Amino acid sequence: MSVRKLLVGALMAGAATCGLAQGASAGQYDGVTINILTRPGPVIAGMVAQRGKEFETATGAKIVVNEVPFAEIFPKLQNDWSTGTNSIDVGVFAAGWGVELASAGLLENLDPYMAKDTKIDAADLAPYFREFGMKIGGHTMLIQLDGDFQMVYYRKDILDKMKLEPPKTWDDYLALAKAMNGQDLNGDGKPDYGSCIFKKRNAQSYFAIQTVAAAFVQTQGTAQGFHFDGKTMKPVINNEAWKKAFEIYKETGKYGPPEELNMDIGDTRALFKAGRCGMLIEWGDPPVLALEKDATAVKNQLFAVGALGSKQVLDRATGKLVPVTKESAPYAVDGINYAPFSAFGGWAGAINAKIDPKKKQAAYDFLSYMNQPAQSNVDVTIGWDGFNPYRLSQLKDTALWEKAGFTKDAAANYIGAINGALNNPNMASDFKLPGAQQYSGVVLDTELARYLAGEITVDEALKNIETGWEKITEDFGRDKQIAAQALALGPAK
Amino acid sequence: MAITTETISQPGALPAGAMQRESWGEWSDRHSRTFFIAPAVTLILVFAIFPTFYSIVFALSRVKFSPNGLVFRFVWFDNFKTQFNGNEQAHFLGRLNSISIFGYVFSAILIAAVLWWYFRALMKSSVVGNIGRLISAAAALGLGLLFAATLLSGNQWGTLLNTLFYVFAGCSIQFVIGTALAFLCSQPIWGKSFFRVIFFIPLMITPLGIGYAWKMILDVTKGPFKPFWEFIGLGGWAWSSDAWAARWFVILGDSWQWIPFIFIVMLAALENVSKDQVEAAQVDGASSVQIFKDITWPQVVPVAATVILIRMIEAFKIVDLPNIMLGGGPGIATESMTLHSVFLWRANNMGDSAAVAYLLLILTVVVCSSFFNYVVLNQLRKAHA
Amino acid sequence: MSQANFKFEKSDRSLMERLFEPPAPGKMSFTGNLVAYALLLFWSAFVLFPIYWVIITSFKDAKIVNEGPYYIPFYDFQPTLDGWRALTIDPDCGPYAFVHQIGVNLYNAFAYLVSPLVTIDRMQPAICKVLLAYQNSLIISIFATALCMIVGSMAAYALARVAYAPKFGNIVMFVILALGSILTSTYAGVHWALATVAALALFFLLARSLGRFFKSTLGNNDILFWIISQRILPPIVVVIPIYMMFQAVGLVDSHLALILVYAVANLPIVVWLMYDFFRSLPIELEESAQLDGATRFGIFWDIVLPLTRPGFAATTLLTLILNWNEYLFAVFLSTAKAQTMPIMIQAKNAGERGTLWWEMSAIIVVMIIPVILMAIFLQRFIAKGVLLGAVKG
Repeated sequence: MSVRKLLVGALMAGAATCGLAQGASAGQYDGVTINILTRPGPVIAGMVAQRGKEFETATGAKIVVNEVPFAEIFPKLQNDWSTGTNSIDVGVFAAGWGVELASAGLLENLDPYMAKDTKIDAADLAPYFREFGMKIGGHTMLIQLDGDFQMVYYRKDILDKMKLEPPKTWDDYLALAKAMNGQDLNGDGKPDYGSCIFKKRNAQSYFAIQTVAAAFVQTQGTAQGFHFDGKTMKPVINNEAWKKAFEIYKETGKYGPPEELNMDIGDTRALFKAGRCGMLIEWGDPPVLALEKDATAVKNQLFAVGALGSKQVLDRATGKLVPVTKESAPYAVDGINYAPFSAFGGWAGAINAKIDPKKKQAAYDFLSYMNQPAQSNVDVTIGWDGFNPYRLSQLKDTALWEKAGFTKDAAANYIGAINGALNNPNMASDFKLPGAQQYSGVVLDTELARYLAGEITVDEALKNIETGWEKITEDFGRDKQIAAQALALGPAK
Repeated sequence: MAITTETISQPGALPAGAMQRESWGEWSDRHSRTFFIAPAVTLILVFAIFPTFYSIVFALSRVKFSPNGLVFRFVWFDNFKTQFNGNEQAHFLGRLNSISIFGYVFSAILIAAVLWWYFRALMKSSVVGNIGRLISAAAALGLGLLFAATLLSGNQWGTLLNTLFYVFAGCSIQFVIGTALAFLCSQPIWGKSFFRVIFFIPLMITPLGIGYAWKMILDVTKGPFKPFWEFIGLGGWAWSSDAWAARWFVILGDSWQWIPFIFIVMLAALENVSKDQVEAAQVDGASSVQIFKDITWPQVVPVAATVILIRMIEAFKIVDLPNIMLGGGPGIATESMTLHSVFLWRANNMGDSAAVAYLLLILTVVVCSSFFNYVVLNQLRKAHA
Repeated sequence: MSQANFKFEKSDRSLMERLFEPPAPGKMSFTGNLVAYALLLFWSAFVLFPIYWVIITSFKDAKIVNEGPYYIPFYDFQPTLDGWRALTIDPDCGPYAFVHQIGVNLYNAFAYLVSPLVTIDRMQPAICKVLLAYQNSLIISIFATALCMIVGSMAAYALARVAYAPKFGNIVMFVILALGSILTSTYAGVHWALATVAALALFFLLARSLGRFFKSTLGNNDILFWIISQRILPPIVVVIPIYMMFQAVGLVDSHLALILVYAVANLPIVVWLMYDFFRSLPIELEESAQLDGATRFGIFWDIVLPLTRPGFAATTLLTLILNWNEYLFAVFLSTAKAQTMPIMIQAKNAGERGTLWWEMSAIIVVMIIPVILMAIFLQRFIAKGVLLGAVKG
């Protein structure tokens, strides 16, 4: 008996001392645990956990990062907060999804916190993100951690070698992809692909299609939107412009990998880092990812175009495509209409309105810590963490990027493309109203996937999307949606 | 004295205070009939029966989130209508625009067969039996006609038929292979216990792990069969973009996991076949085939029917494999009804999610009851005859 | 003589007969043996290959995986520990953290035990994702199996020995009242607790009064069928309502919720298997014990259970494995604290850094090793024909 009891006793004593030794750091948030829910790491979640450790050393608050599959972030958050379970204190998700949660009163209003915050440097935040991303209904409800635009990338070295011009329109994209397809783009002797796009269902495909469609559909500025008619909330989807976008999107598949329909962003990133893609539709990560040690084939070779445009645009009255003119597309440049798409809106953090005040303050301090230039300017230059630039100081000059490993040309091209998109008056916004996830991630995504797989024709797909969107609008209440859409984009013209 | 005789002559009257003297243990023993079964019944009532009823409410409503929890809007059978002829029809039933000649021919044969089967037993069965037959006949007709309108007419089918495909195709293949393996293992061979242990393992591995393992193994460009794919000329083939290949590969993964189940049950059954009969027949000069057909199989059929039923019940619930291997397949090609319901829940569309779940329940009950009544019971009756 | 039909003598047999007919009753022919071994070995390879592949993939890294399939470690490729290191990439997962975690758990358990007497502050465990998920899986599986086996065996024993006769009318009444309580609490805004209590009270009242008029009864077989047929219920049908029920009492994302739900999910199997074991026991032992004055529970615990030990063990293992693998309920009912291993693996599957097969393989190996071990144990019971009786019925 004695040996066993001695062992158990020793173990417990040891455990006690171990545990006691851990709780030695004294900070203002000792004993506070913040539970964060976000997508699986290391993207986003990895850096949040890392900064969380630093925050804990400084203040004693414990940051726990919980990961769920991407498609479950929103339903889980909504369930957890609206049913009062409150397992989660902070959600890090797409800025556009916050509207639905805010309208249910689930998000903490961060205006008073920001007013007291001296370190956050709000003036440095790019106006688009500060006003449209972080604010809902005029109040700040989200803290931006990342700025998202989808852009088109091309392999500069290949284009130079083949003496081709960078693309300006989507027809150019197809032509370039066709030219590069089948060539050996990374010197390993095997033929590679002209275009790599993540077309998997329930992944990120529904963002890419909007990047293509925006230039055809939106012409009158950000406030017009390219999903709904602002006055009636009728879907602007069943028309020639979206049809052309769908057809172009499908055609890129001819110059891409055979299993493109089953590739999500992880798979395409692996491909382009190995140098096997000629062109990409992607967020701001590729050039930064290209600096990693397993991407030597493409280091500093991925150049960006803020957006590709179209020479034909949608006439909303007839639903047909018409050529670009001063009336049909007032923001067109050189006869081409551009509409950079701020896909996803950027990862942002929101705080549960129903947790206790000390936790809220701790949560806000942590989000602010991540958002402050001292941390943020470093994080956006690291590829694997998934944070893209959203502060003016990050987009001002190339020094920050050159320090990370960019060449001067590549850095200039990169921030030039992002700045061009940010300052474009015809920039297209992602869904920012109740049901955002359902409109895009469910209805649009499903029908697009079925069209790509050849199960339905493009006309059927567009018709199904129209019916599906109308049903969601009815579910939430048409008038409420019209008001929410107006808030999101600015008053309808 | 008088008191004693009084108490004896009135056996019914207990001395005062008798009830309190019964101990806690004795009281619980007297009520042990209830206590033994009450926990199980309570758990099932609370966590299975009650939620099933509650689920009806979800299926008959549109559900919204509000600051005070959930808000239900009663819409009768709207959610079900959406699945059958609303905008989800193509997702649930399949495309029904054009019916080919094969479809018509098959439909005609099917209608004739079902009607003949139904009326044949109409007079001989009870009222309950006839109602049951009516439901089974209606289900068979509905599903058969749907099959004719979709697959046989070259149209894509929806999650309803997908699920049935997984159940029927999967169970048949698994039964045949499982029984064959069991038969081989029941023969006098060396190493029986080794094979038994090996063959049993896949049944117990987490389906999620199996899905991912097969996804890796079947990868054409990086998986272990790459030389094989290249050898037969499919070097760049993306099976995940081909609806039928995707479905068959899901069945492959599913079979890898479930054949062991059929295997152990059939093995036990085969080993219980009396050896004397078999040896006597061998001595009499019967061939192996004859022995199997006339002696072994009839003794094994009741178990076989039961095991197929059990396998079918589990097969209706398939969700992990199509989700992990293909995320629902190219488009919706490999989506089962459970996966369809999960996707709807993820979209916060709880009404439709509950409706699809209920349709799955009805389908499972009808198909399994029909199978049980018309196949299993038949076999059991024959065996006991 | 029938023997004349069977040619035993080697010299009497033609080549065809030597190849295709058995040499003696009870043995197989040469080709029969050949075919049997070939098929069995092929199937063994088919079964073992995926497991083998997952194990060796966990020892590969990006370059080895992307450059095409390599089959044999040390020969084809050099194994690395990249995948295994990724399990511990979370700074909270170092070896010290592992010991610390055990220490904290013991400390917290100690604090819980002495809590009636003295309040000791609990310690926050360090959070290592993989460890937490593994721990949750273990706790939930073990407790759910224990609950399921106890409740299920008792019910099975009762069904095997006691003749029940619930009135059909009572059951119909119960269904009507249950539906009524649900409808009023969702559409008429009545608070769910009030509706439930009212319905229960009404049921007991009516059962006492009207129950006398109901004549037709159901028997043990019906109850057994009802319990076993719960297995037909697809979990997806009940998962959302169960979520709402747990949310109403604040138990979402707790271990207790998952334990209860898992116990119910596997109850039909336990009842079905244990019922067969109990039925096959001779009743004399129990009758004599009853005459000696033993309580029913005493008989159950001291006499019956020990007699069915192999069956009990087999069923326990089977239930344990099923609980370990359970996925759908965990998806809906756990958010952060009660995440089990399958959920954590699925979350990692959606990574954005390409096909990290080696990392996924390492985690899958960690997850399936326990079940493989349990399966090997379980198989030994099955080999003894322990579970056959259930299926024959």
